[in-house]
Amino acid sequence: MTVTEEQLQRPPAEVRYAGELAALRAADADPRPPGWQLSLRAARRFVVGDEQAGISRKFVGNVSLVERALVTLATNRGLMLVGEPGTAKSLLSELIAAAVSGSSALTVQGGAATTEDQIKYSWNYALLVSEGPSPRSLVPAPMLNGMAEGRIVRFEEITRCPLEVQDCLLSLLSDRVITIPELDGPQGLVFARQGFNVIATANTRDRGVNEMSAALKRRFNFETVFPIPDCDTELALVEAEATALLRQSGVEAAPRRDVLEVLVGTFRELRGTAERGERMSTVMSTAEAVSVAHAVGVRGWFLRGEAGSAADVVASLAGTAAKDSPEDLARLRRFLEQDVPRRKGGQWQALHDARHLLAD
Amino acid sequence: MRGTSRAEGAGAGGTVASSRADSAVFLGVRHHSPACARLVGGAIEELRPAYVLVEGPADMNDRLDELLLGHELPVAVFSHYRDETRVATSWTPLCDYSPEWVALREGRASGAEVRFIDLPSWHPAFAERADRRTNRYADAEARYAEATERLCAHFAVDSVDALWDGLFEITESETTEPGGDDLQARLDAYFELVRGDAEADSGDRAREEYMASWVRAALAHAGERPVLVVTGGFHQPALRALSRQRDDWSDGSEEWPEIPAPPPGAIGGSFLVPYSFRQLDAFAGYQSGMPSPGYYQQLWEEGPQAAAQGLLRTVAERLRTRGIPASTAPLIAARGLAQGLALMRGHAYETRVDVLDGLAGALISDDLDQPLPWTGRGTLGAGSHPVVVEMVAACTGGTEGRLHPDTPLPPLVHDVAEQLARLGLADRDRPFTVDLTDPDGLARSQVLHRLRVLGIPGFTRLSGPADGADPVFAERWEPHPAGGREAALIEAGAYGARLDEAASVALGERARSAGTEAAPLAGLLFDAVLCGVGPLCDELLEALAAQVGQVPELGPVGEVLTAALGLWRHDRVFGVARGRLLGSVVAGAADRVFWLAEGLHGGPGVDLARLRALAAARDALLHAPELLSVTREAAAEAAARIGRDRRAPADLRGAAFGLRWALGVPDDPATAVQALASTAADSLGDWLAGLFALAREEVTAGATADGEPLIDVLDGIVSAMTEGDFITGLPALRQAFAFFPPRERERIAERLLLRRGKHGSARSLLRTTADPLLLARARTLEENVARLLDRHGLGRVG
Repeated sequence: MTVTEEQLQRPPAEVRYAGELAALRAADADPRPPGWQLSLRAARRFVVGDEQAGISRKFVGNVSLVERALVTLATNRGLMLVGEPGTAKSLLSELIAAAVSGSSALTVQGGAATTEDQIKYSWNYALLVSEGPSPRSLVPAPMLNGMAEGRIVRFEEITRCPLEVQDCLLSLLSDRVITIPELDGPQGLVFARQGFNVIATANTRDRGVNEMSAALKRRFNFETVFPIPDCDTELALVEAEATALLRQSGVEAAPRRDVLEVLVGTFRELRGTAERGERMSTVMSTAEAVSVAHAVGVRGWFLRGEAGSAADVVASLAGTAAKDSPEDLARLRRFLEQDVPRRKGGQWQALHDARHLLAD
Repeated sequence: MRGTSRAEGAGAGGTVASSRADSAVFLGVRHHSPACARLVGGAIEELRPAYVLVEGPADMNDRLDELLLGHELPVAVFSHYRDETRVATSWTPLCDYSPEWVALREGRASGAEVRFIDLPSWHPAFAERADRRTNRYADAEARYAEATERLCAHFAVDSVDALWDGLFEITESETTEPGGDDLQARLDAYFELVRGDAEADSGDRAREEYMASWVRAALAHAGERPVLVVTGGFHQPALRALSRQRDDWSDGSEEWPEIPAPPPGAIGGSFLVPYSFRQLDAFAGYQSGMPSPGYYQQLWEEGPQAAAQGLLRTVAERLRTRGIPASTAPLIAARGLAQGLALMRGHAYETRVDVLDGLAGALISDDLDQPLPWTGRGTLGAGSHPVVVEMVAACTGGTEGRLHPDTPLPPLVHDVAEQLARLGLADRDRPFTVDLTDPDGLARSQVLHRLRVLGIPGFTRLSGPADGADPVFAERWEPHPAGGREAALIEAGAYGARLDEAASVALGERARSAGTEAAPLAGLLFDAVLCGVGPLCDELLEALAAQVGQVPELGPVGEVLTAALGLWRHDRVFGVARGRLLGSVVAGAADRVFWLAEGLHGGPGVDLARLRALAAARDALLHAPELLSVTREAAAEAAARIGRDRRAPADLRGAAFGLRWALGVPDDPATAVQALASTAADSLGDWLAGLFALAREEVTAGATADGEPLIDVLDGIVSAMTEGDFITGLPALRQAFAFFPPRERERIAERLLLRRGKHGSARSLLRTTADPLLLARARTLEENVARLLDRHGLGRVG
């Protein structure tokens, strides 16, 4: 049974942007690094967009970050994207993998239970018992596939893996070969083909990169992805994403701009960009802002048949901004009580008036 | 004519006027750009102009020789201005690769007449620049940010500096053929584009009018020889148009424009000061023009390749001296990355940003707290990664300028000499005492303190008041031989033209770097009081208020508030009572107290510091409401919220309750006390301590809703306590009642005696004469007897 693109909740980047990738490939005159599907410049254009060529902007952030990332991948070092949760690290790695290798599917999802098997290879035990070790009974995992095919492998949340599992990447990244001791002869060595590299992501909240071994750190170039610095850009992004999400959820009213303004303003303030220097322990990322905007729209539409108001923002914030920390809730309350009244215009007054919705 | 762009309207059929205007060559430059400097040099060599007109303060025209004395660059023309409404200081920095400097030097060398043609720095045309610490050669780009943003998006770069480097500084043609047509054409196109988008403000228009009048006069005087006009690219299109507006070019009759004189009563002047790359880079944002002078100096001297390699080398050296690991492998990787980036970005050689990006990619293996500074236009924030700090420092370079010995000195030097002489401090050679209560003594003390905060050696204070509450009214000072004093004074001249202004600016700078520790802030505040920096300290005020607004703990911010409010209300010595300096600190601190108090959570125990902080906020609300942005109502509401917050410490809740009482919106204390006693008796003492700290007078004078004094209610509660509860609660209760002075305590004791229908000395209740140990032993004995009676069924009869 095949699944058409429409039925997928979220098709991978190479499917979503197949047309753009094809156009870029066709028009690409610059030299390509060995094993790459696109040249560096074309890959950059795919990620940061090119209005004239009809390539959409997919990543809102520093262009130089994308450039550094791409050049890093063309060398023999891996790329490590670090940053707060919700800063589009995974999106960026997906886009880059799609641009460079034409596929973002080779992904290892790191977690406390990740084992070496899931990274390199494992066995089909029935075949292993009946036939002994052979290429037929070998079940390759993303790294082995990536090396054999010369593609980018994504390693999500690498720091959530146990340290000893992380370190199995060491030889793989420096020698660029996986040995399979169970197989004899040349089959026991899988050399990386041109085009293989690793993009790892790590968030700075759960467990930072400090615990990573120095040896492994050395094999990566680090790029920190920051929250969107510019308020208007973030607002535009939240508006676009929330509108799309709301449409998917069957909400017909587009989100109100003035409500989104106070929402994004609140997020930016609480994120600690403010001068007070007190950070929320909860993540106040753009992604969270989008999900609150989504929730606001859904509340407004399905409860009252309208676009959602500042009061909905307050009601939805309690669940986001104060997930499990009473300190955060207190900070949010203080913000609504003390700071919001000083702000003029728009929906700020409405936000202040709705502060009682922030339940204890 | 290669390398130049002629004014429009040229042609065989042109009028006399247009052929005249035609001999003007307008070079639009970006300040501090080596590529533009090279272009200027090329144009002078080629044109041999009669006049070289340069964007620079026209009031310096008589003193151009002073600039060409043979200084070691960078140096700057420092201009200051003050009248009743406005204070302005401005620098016109010049370094080896400044197009303006090249125009000045090469123009002179080629025999041309060189003139500065811009308005003087004090002129109101510059007043619209928001920043007081201005750089004449700041980028006008702040005003055409939209156009440059579009360009950045088009060329897919992050910042206008990166854009500029890629387009103009590091290009193939530029390196093979200095001053090539290509570069000039691109520059013209660039400035046309951005100017077309920007709105010139009235200040710009006034300056352009003035500069155009110079151009017209020079054209009239030059005859058939060319006139070279070197200005910021932003002004060039407008200047070109304005210079052609005149029709009749009667020979030689065009008068040179007058140099505007400052209005009567205003103080102003310009002096050369030694400058440094560090200072040049320290201007924030657009004020800095092009950042990273060290790198561009090398680019100017040795070309882009050497500059890129030099930068890499300097960063590696700096890192190794600081003990930050930078081994060969990552440096090779950095080089490779930089080259890769240059290739991808279409640069002929690695630009500054390519090298920095490469180094950042290869050397930093941590997550960063802040974006890399060269991706935007900001300055380096606190907490920047050490590698980034070294990289930026390497770009800045350490070059310091030096003035030729014959250079006239900045005004501060004379100001200080004059003040010291006037106050009889100039030739003291033994320790002396100044009396702060005497106006002359105070003036002396202020001058000495100003010198002290400016870091100018020569006098040391041996003794004197340590803070605002210290009742010492005399200071003892010791003069000592002052090595390096002259140099320190010249440097301090960059802070301001006058001693008081300079001290104020220096204190402001210190405030910004003081961090959020309360102790240095309090010291700073008292320094400001000692210096008497009264009327001229906006910067200091802002900085202090901002810093106070960030102190992270309630206790220290309370101390600052208490001290500031005390001096603001009662000072008779330093002349700062009711002054703006302390007013703004009081306002900032009071705001901060409420912000911190609401949201403070914690366990049992009385923290006197935080109670004092709230008490100080109460005093501010009662005695200085006009200073505060918090209204009484808002404060009372905040207090109500604190009072309700179960997780707030009991003493703070009590204090919040007391604050409301003191503000005249009391809730019923009896209800509150009784509720507390029945639910959390162990925190009663803490709560009362808070209450008494804030509303002692109200407690003594007031009554509960039933008309019963609070003391009676408390007496009831305490009497009803079990023995165990009482013993546990006793220390806290004692502490709470310690807030009452002895006389009031005696009155309370009287009342208690009265309630029990007893007569006797209330004072003896407060002061026991017997040995506490004896009392304790008696008590134990009594308890034993009671137990014994109980055991035998003899106790509790009836």
